[in-house]
Amino acid sequence: MEFFVFVCSALMILVGAVGVIVRKHPVHAALSLVLTLFGVAVLFVAQEAHFLAAVQVIVYAGAIVVLFLFVIMLLGVDRVENLRTEPLSGQRPLAVLASLGLVAVLITAILRGNQIFNERGTGLNLPDAQDGPDANTVQLAESIFSQYVVAFEVTSVLLVIAVVGTVLLTRRTRATAE
Amino acid sequence: MLNLLWLIPLLPLAGALLNIAAGRKLGDPRSGWLATSATLISFLTTVLAYFELLGRQAEKRSHVETLFSWLPVGSLQVDFALLADPLSITMSLFVTGVSTLIHLYAIGYMHGDAKFSKFFIYLNLFVFSMLMLVLGENLLVTFLGWEGVGACSYLLISFWHTRNSAAVAGKKAFVTNRIGDFGVMIAMFLAFSHVGSLSYGAINEAAHAGELAAVSATAIALLLFVGACGKSAQLPLYFWLPDAMEGPTPVSALIHAATMVTSGVFLLTRINPVLHVSYAWVSTTVAVVGAATALFAATIAVSQNDIKRVLAYSTVSQLGLMFLAIGSGAYVAAIFHMVTHAFFKALLFLGSGSVIHGMHHEQDMRKMGALRKVMPITGFTFIIGWLAIAGVPPFAGFWSKDEILLYVFAKSPVLYVVGIVTALLTAYYMTRQVIMVFYGKARWRDHGDEHGAHGDFTPHESPRVMLMPLVVLSVLSVVGGAMQLPFSKDLHFLEHWLAPVVEESEAHIGKTWAYQNKYLLLLLAVAVATAGIVLALAVYAKAKLKVVEPKVLEQAWHYDGAVARVVAGPGAATFNLIAWFDANIVDGIVNGVGQVVRSVAGSLRKAQSGFVRVYALLISIGAVVILGWLLLRGVVL
Amino acid sequence: MNDLSNFFGPAVDWLAISPLLSLLAGALTLLLVGSLTGQWPWRLYAHLTALSAVIAIAISIRLWGDVGTNGARLLIGGALALDQFALFAAIAICLAIALVSYLTSDYLNREGVDLPEIYALYLTAGIGALVMIASNDLVVLFLGLETLGLSLYLLAASNRRQVSSQEAGLKYFILGGFASAFFLYGVALVYGVTGSTRLINLNAALTSYIPVPRNDAVLLIGIGMILIGFAFKVSLVPFQAWTPDVYQGAPTPTTAFVASVGKIAALVALVRVFVVAFPSRSDDWGTIVFVLSALTLVVGSVVAVVQTNVKRMLAYSSISHAGFILVGLEAASHRASANVDDGLVGVAVYVVLYAAMVVGTFGVVTVVTSDQANSDASGSASLDSFKGLAKSQPLLGLAMTVLLLAQAGMPLTSGFVAKFGVIQAAVAVGSYELAVIAMVCAVIAAFVYLRIMVSMWLADPSDSTTVKVPPLSRISIAVAVAVTLVTGFLPSLILDLGSNLAELASK
Repeated sequence: MEFFVFVCSALMILVGAVGVIVRKHPVHAALSLVLTLFGVAVLFVAQEAHFLAAVQVIVYAGAIVVLFLFVIMLLGVDRVENLRTEPLSGQRPLAVLASLGLVAVLITAILRGNQIFNERGTGLNLPDAQDGPDANTVQLAESIFSQYVVAFEVTSVLLVIAVVGTVLLTRRTRATAE
Repeated sequence: MLNLLWLIPLLPLAGALLNIAAGRKLGDPRSGWLATSATLISFLTTVLAYFELLGRQAEKRSHVETLFSWLPVGSLQVDFALLADPLSITMSLFVTGVSTLIHLYAIGYMHGDAKFSKFFIYLNLFVFSMLMLVLGENLLVTFLGWEGVGACSYLLISFWHTRNSAAVAGKKAFVTNRIGDFGVMIAMFLAFSHVGSLSYGAINEAAHAGELAAVSATAIALLLFVGACGKSAQLPLYFWLPDAMEGPTPVSALIHAATMVTSGVFLLTRINPVLHVSYAWVSTTVAVVGAATALFAATIAVSQNDIKRVLAYSTVSQLGLMFLAIGSGAYVAAIFHMVTHAFFKALLFLGSGSVIHGMHHEQDMRKMGALRKVMPITGFTFIIGWLAIAGVPPFAGFWSKDEILLYVFAKSPVLYVVGIVTALLTAYYMTRQVIMVFYGKARWRDHGDEHGAHGDFTPHESPRVMLMPLVVLSVLSVVGGAMQLPFSKDLHFLEHWLAPVVEESEAHIGKTWAYQNKYLLLLLAVAVATAGIVLALAVYAKAKLKVVEPKVLEQAWHYDGAVARVVAGPGAATFNLIAWFDANIVDGIVNGVGQVVRSVAGSLRKAQSGFVRVYALLISIGAVVILGWLLLRGVVL
Repeated sequence: MNDLSNFFGPAVDWLAISPLLSLLAGALTLLLVGSLTGQWPWRLYAHLTALSAVIAIAISIRLWGDVGTNGARLLIGGALALDQFALFAAIAICLAIALVSYLTSDYLNREGVDLPEIYALYLTAGIGALVMIASNDLVVLFLGLETLGLSLYLLAASNRRQVSSQEAGLKYFILGGFASAFFLYGVALVYGVTGSTRLINLNAALTSYIPVPRNDAVLLIGIGMILIGFAFKVSLVPFQAWTPDVYQGAPTPTTAFVASVGKIAALVALVRVFVVAFPSRSDDWGTIVFVLSALTLVVGSVVAVVQTNVKRMLAYSSISHAGFILVGLEAASHRASANVDDGLVGVAVYVVLYAAMVVGTFGVVTVVTSDQANSDASGSASLDSFKGLAKSQPLLGLAMTVLLLAQAGMPLTSGFVAKFGVIQAAVAVGSYELAVIAMVCAVIAAFVYLRIMVSMWLADPSDSTTVKVPPLSRISIAVAVAVTLVTGFLPSLILDLGSNLAELASK
């Protein structure tokens, strides 16, 4: 069963990811992204990380992609990039080759390393049924506020930078205003 | 007194700093006097240090003055320390002494130059670096001085940088010396990894005690020899020195004849125990390179027409003799010749400078002649220098050259023949020069109008401030040989003095055929010198023989040209290829292809013109290679 | 289990993270107060930035003594490390922030747009850098990397009047994201094998229950991907392609910042990760580091020689410097040797001294190329702008000469001490090939600096425009030159400090 879920969601993720880069229409590309993000959410559920799955759907699929769509709509949906012509000779074949190489290396490594994963694969401490419905959240919270508290705080700085950056790059300067 | 050792290099440095601060205000000639007095006081300090050392027993004549701990990095400890021992004090004595004279001379020579005070800043900085080089207690301090003299030499060669040739010559010197420096650096690291210290004391001690394996000693000695070849203009790295004559003449005298170029000889003498314990073929290599250079440069000097280039090739040749001496285990003789050579070669260069000065910057000997009448003092002192270098007894050069040849004979008769042929050629080309410049027809009369002179052009004698050093140096060139006379053990002053430093490695020739017949060799040397002089007289003064000056010699056997072609050919081609790659592959994708993109897609912006993709591709390929390699390792192991 | 009343977060040693807090306070003040008030007078933006950096330095020095007596330790549940290796780099980073902010102030005032955001980004980048150099956890490290990276992308793009700046920022962003993906994937693989992201646990896991040698391709691939992520950040060949474009396109003070802070942080973090977490696989990554180092040295120095734009020239020279620093890391991979720690000390000393040099050098470039700043980007900072500089501005020419000589590694400058340290480390562990390559490249690279020096000293000024050196830039350049000279003359000052550098927390 778990395997079946995994294959399904993995397919969703891959199809979505490929869709993002090959769809000509930006709206379609954005919608493909939703597919990918949903796939990830399903994977979270399969790992019994229900809280994360919910956040994934709400924040990414819900908020962020909607924002993308807004921007695309505002900028005009008619613009279609022409991806047929590739001006750099050799770029595409080489890129395909390099990507295939990378994939091949990774797949080989993971197949060979299967054994290692099994040895160490004790998995997470899954909450028991009697821990209550919010066990998952509590576990996450504990992890965030103990082991990963520094990471959590640094993330806040990261978000501040993102905001500052947006302001900095989009604000009209006197030069452009003139 | 010896704990004030640091004063010796510090004084010239102080002179330079003062001139940097106030040189412009002091102006010409006061900034020159300031620089001269700085070196003079430094010389006097050295003399005091010398007497203090002399007052000690022979085995105690060594003093290390540690100023501060310089590089305490990890397992390495290097102090900023100076070493006073017979070798370093001998070097300092003649470095400061000759420098003082040349500074004095330069006051007259550079008079009226727009960058007068700057010249003395460089000159003082040079003396400082040179003193660091010779007084350094470890390889690193020496290396510091080594780099310093290189930099000053570069600055001084291109001093008249408005001349393009001067700038090119400066660059040539820089490049060649970097090759040598590279050898010294590797030697330094090797010495460190095998001895655990860079101090001469420790390295030489390790060599003595047999803790330094022959193979590592060989590597260190060879690498230092590479450095020495660069600095001392030996084959195959000699070609920068003749070009270095683009600098002002006092510079040629100081740096490119008397002091800096001898630092290779000094360095090898400094580490003589290492040379001693390395494989025997190392010494032979040094000797062969020295002999080859000596002969090679002497042949070239025969057909040069530029007064300074003759002396430059002669310097290369004489340096070759010193290396020949070192290769034959004659360290004392090498130092002896270094000192006497400093006297007479500085004298010859300064004399030629005086001639050039008097001739309004004419350097072509074909346009000179009969100058001894208008420049009597210059002429007289130059002739003394000539006799000294030609090897006429009892002038200084005779004794030192003879001492070298004696040891060389003991080492190998073949090399001795090379040496004696070099001596013959030396006598020949120097006589040729003296005749062309000071005797014969006054050819400058024909060329008077070329100088844009006002009607009649007459060379003039130089001012007194320039003649004084000439006189002092000529006296030294006469009596310098007294340091080490062959007649009796008691007259081997220099040998006794240097004994603590070189005793162990000095070749023992007491029982050889050469030593037992040394007076025979002495006579042979005199005969050869006379033959050279007579031959030149026959050719140039009496015109009895045809002048033989093959073009190939004038072009220095085409060696320089060949090197230039290699550097300009494959060397430049490599750089060009890389430049081309950068310009066409990377930038071409940006620009050329970028334009195609714009014309095809029209609306694409510059940032989208494709090269981010290319960069990403590069990253991916690199990643695949690295990961693929790791995978192989992970799977195969 | 769900009883949160007995949940206690990890203990926080507030003093130990105060350098971070100081920078954060500065950044927030600039943003908050800056957005509520109008333009600040008297260059207050720059002064505030420098002040928070200096406070961070002061605290770091205080901590230095503390670590010296009490030893290195881990902070906040093992997420961060407090040791002299990190503090040493932290001081250099904060110094670079202070110096660059002064340079920026003059630059922005010249351009007529002095904005608080730029300074705030310097400080946030600093936070990212400080987190990176001290992080003992791959996730924390990644966040630090992104914090630093994002700030740098924005800074590179911050000059909105120049297309080249925007382009530089965008390129840097896209490629940086690409490299981050590698890094993150590597972290994931390593986590998969070991079950932890803490460096100390990684080492424990790799040495105990996953013995060497064995079939551990996944682990090696993970390590390799982490290395690739770092290689991009420190611009090692072949991951260096972005460097010249970004260095050239970005505003010059930002270039100084990228070259100093960006490089120190990534290199120090790289060294910490590989020395603390993966020493058991040093045979594997040591070889890669060897190859990368050699490639970087050769390509960096050789290509630098053929450049005509000074910023591009210095970009390639910074690539070759990265190669040098990697020589030290390579030395640190020879775990069998007794002198393995020399490499660590060499790296730390090199990055710190290099930061001072590079800030000073780009500081001079900022000042000198001011007049062309508004012209086409490819035309600015050409070698011609340096013609005759020594004549029109002798002091500035002298300062630049000192800095360039230091970059070339002349004795009596800090550059020599730095290069000597890493090469000595390589020799001490018997890595002669790399030492020789490094020295040859040092010789080649010397030409680059020589070219600039020759045009400064031997050429005549191309036009009559005189270069003005604004007061704050003067301070920055003077400090950089002072560091270069003082450590060059008395390297023991800095090397004595370095005696405990190799005592990494949790090593």
